[in-house]
Amino acid sequence: MIRPLKLGFMALLFFYLYLPIAVLVANAFNSTRSGNRWGGFTAKWFDAMWANSGLMEAAVNSLTVAVVAATVATLIGTLAAVALYRYRFRGKLALNGMLFVVMTSPDIVMAVSLLALFVSLGISLGFWSLLAAHITFCLPFVVVSVYSRLSGFDRSVIEAARDLGASEGRILRQIILPMAMPAVLAGWLLSFTLSLDDVIISSFVTGPSYEILPIKIFSMVKVGVTPAVNALATLMLLLSLVMVAISQFLLKQKHPS
Amino acid sequence: MMTFKHWLTAALLSTVSAAAVADNDVIYFYNWSEYIPEGLMQEFEQETGIRVIYTTYDSNEAMYAKLKLTGSEGYDIVVPSTYYIAKMADEGMLKPLDKSLLTNLAHLDPALMDKEYDPGNTYSLPYIWGATGIGVNTDEVDIDEITSWKDLWSPQWRGELMLMNDPREVFHMALRILGYSTNSRNPHEIEEAYQLLTQLMPNALTFNSDNPGAPFAAGDTILGMIWNGSAYEAQKEDPAINMVYPKEGAIFWMDNLAIPAGAKNVEAAHKLIDFLLRPEIAAKVCEEIGYPTPNKTAKGLLDKAFAENPMVFPPAEVIEAGEFQSDVGEAVEIYDGYWQRLRTGR
Amino acid sequence: MKVNNRLKWFSIGLLTTWLVIFVLFPNLMVIAVSFMTPDLRELIRPEFSVEGYLRLLDPLYLDVLIHSLYLAGFATLLCLLVGYPAAWIIAHTSKRMQAFLLFLIIVPFWTNSLIRTYAMKVILGNRGIVNKTLMEIGLIDSPIRMLYNESAVIMALVYILLPFMILPLYSSIEKLPRNYLEAAKDLGSGPLRTFRTIVWPLTLPGVISGCLLVFLPALGMFYIADLLGGAGNLLIGNIIRDQILVTRNWPFGAALSVTLIAMMAVMLWAYHRALKAMQGGQGR
Repeated sequence: MIRPLKLGFMALLFFYLYLPIAVLVANAFNSTRSGNRWGGFTAKWFDAMWANSGLMEAAVNSLTVAVVAATVATLIGTLAAVALYRYRFRGKLALNGMLFVVMTSPDIVMAVSLLALFVSLGISLGFWSLLAAHITFCLPFVVVSVYSRLSGFDRSVIEAARDLGASEGRILRQIILPMAMPAVLAGWLLSFTLSLDDVIISSFVTGPSYEILPIKIFSMVKVGVTPAVNALATLMLLLSLVMVAISQFLLKQKHPS
Repeated sequence: MMTFKHWLTAALLSTVSAAAVADNDVIYFYNWSEYIPEGLMQEFEQETGIRVIYTTYDSNEAMYAKLKLTGSEGYDIVVPSTYYIAKMADEGMLKPLDKSLLTNLAHLDPALMDKEYDPGNTYSLPYIWGATGIGVNTDEVDIDEITSWKDLWSPQWRGELMLMNDPREVFHMALRILGYSTNSRNPHEIEEAYQLLTQLMPNALTFNSDNPGAPFAAGDTILGMIWNGSAYEAQKEDPAINMVYPKEGAIFWMDNLAIPAGAKNVEAAHKLIDFLLRPEIAAKVCEEIGYPTPNKTAKGLLDKAFAENPMVFPPAEVIEAGEFQSDVGEAVEIYDGYWQRLRTGR
Repeated sequence: MKVNNRLKWFSIGLLTTWLVIFVLFPNLMVIAVSFMTPDLRELIRPEFSVEGYLRLLDPLYLDVLIHSLYLAGFATLLCLLVGYPAAWIIAHTSKRMQAFLLFLIIVPFWTNSLIRTYAMKVILGNRGIVNKTLMEIGLIDSPIRMLYNESAVIMALVYILLPFMILPLYSSIEKLPRNYLEAAKDLGSGPLRTFRTIVWPLTLPGVISGCLLVFLPALGMFYIADLLGGAGNLLIGNIIRDQILVTRNWPFGAALSVTLIAMMAVMLWAYHRALKAMQGGQGR
């Protein structure tokens, strides 16, 4: 009695989670515009998507910001995680606290605060303000991801290396970074996705000179049925699936020893 | 590690240089949603080599706030409605147009020029005008029973109506029912209209000024406010959708091309305005998005059946009965105050 | 040891500087702005005022705020009601199955949330697939309105945020010591009693952190209310967005943000308490 109940529950849950996505993907290949009934298979919406220069430009902008923001956040975040792991210093608790606040505070609050910052400093809204904002909300996720992997390791390896006369830089390069690598990459991928997905913060801190996908899609979707968006969504879904697969693979890798 | 660093530097440099090159051959066009036919900007690009970055807004208020935030910088062309032209010009947010750069000026209809909101068209030129009336899905609602703005107040439409996300347009209905002008600056009249509108709010389903025809075409709403061009588009998708010009008078509005004070690429902005004033282009815009054009020459180029479609070109008696939106001066803020309460309240 | 020090201070300094400039400083600014006077032309005037906060108590806004809390709260409750059993079931399958099921839960989270909200709109419309199916199987004669009302907003919030509830719940359920449950059973405790006295208190940190990760973001997701909510179903995020980006009443928008931060602080405090209570309980 219990088993079929459980199965049924999970089936319903996944149906709920995947039905909208399935409809989106189906409509990307559906020749009727409104998408309310099946009108036959077509790839024309993909052509429409490529031809929509505004959409394509926003996509390139989004990818640029996502790559740069994820990379910078990963560099700063990894260094910081290593420092948090390796050293004791005053203010460590405050630093941890601030990272925690960034992770839990609602996007809308961060959006307002960053806009206030940029406006008061007279920084024009565009690529740079957007980049700084994205790095900021990605940062804690990288730190946590790298830090939690590092704390799972045996510190005695490092002690041994030091006893054998390895310099601090060498310990970092040859022991700590290789150990942390899977988490570093996973942190990068997570940052990349977070950046690509963000609607709320971006709609506050980007300006006319730099339109990105979520903003563009938002204005397209508000206007009505736009099958090119379905095509784009399908491509992005595919991209995310590949990324999930890669990150899962990386996280599951055994400790290098 | 080295290659990675190189790659990163290259990526950073390329974005910086992209931003630096941008200046002279790019123009930022901030316009209402659904206001430019697909592919038209590419045509301009091919002709002039000037790339158009096109972004959209759904209300004068949002556009105004955005420009305030950026110090009127960042955009080269905006398309405010008449009364916002007056407000923005007054606040120094617009740049006077250089008429010597506009070769197609003569094609505009003199009847729509030199109005009180912008005497001598110093700051703006009409781009599109249109009417707001009542949209009806004739499969669900008997169109003969809808003749007046007042009909929208009927309790049978509780939670059914599509309304504009625009204070002046929504207030128009109440002001006209009460027998006042849509351009009223009288605080008492405006308050009276506000009181009347509070009774309408329970009937509101959604507010949409992006594409008011879309919820009709999707079957999600059967009655409410609609723009004529949007109704025209929606009818193409679902023939059951029609439009009524209410007996108290429809709203006529006009959106105008203007250049923000902080525009970087003024010369190109004039080029684009001149392009849009060209009769063939104006005719194309009119035919594809379904709003009447203020361009007299362009009107002559239109297909006959299209030019006689009362949905696109309201007949003379409808125009006679309706009222054109114009400047209300400081009263804009009174409208906005009440509007916020209407829009937010439940 | 010089290298050591330089590297250490560089890493810590970089992160600290970043957080001070982009987190601490802006948040302090928001708090400051919330106590200033709005100005139509200049945005704000540096004159002290509590107008922004008083406005929260204006019956009109209070009503909307309470409704917004209700929408987000109801969505959180639904997430918990669906997420708890789901997390429980997942945690009690084989290790391989667990990984696979979690993967399935996470995949939608990696897809653009705006696009998923839009997908929700497509299926919930009067001519959408849900109404169509119901009509085809003869359950209803005419379409039911599922769009532009509060249930649409709640359903979409649950849809977007469910993974954030399931993941923390899963990790706290997974950590439950199995022998506790068996001991309770051996001692004759019924399933309900076991749940109340052992399982619930031990998974409470997971419950609270799940609620935290659903409730707070839910309040801010203005695009969901924009696309699906229609008139009268605004979230706090919509009001903040409109105050900041449309009507330009920054002090009020800032006061709303500060309110959100305060709510977050309360929930974090509750989380902390629950965690402490649990560790204390285990220690004894």
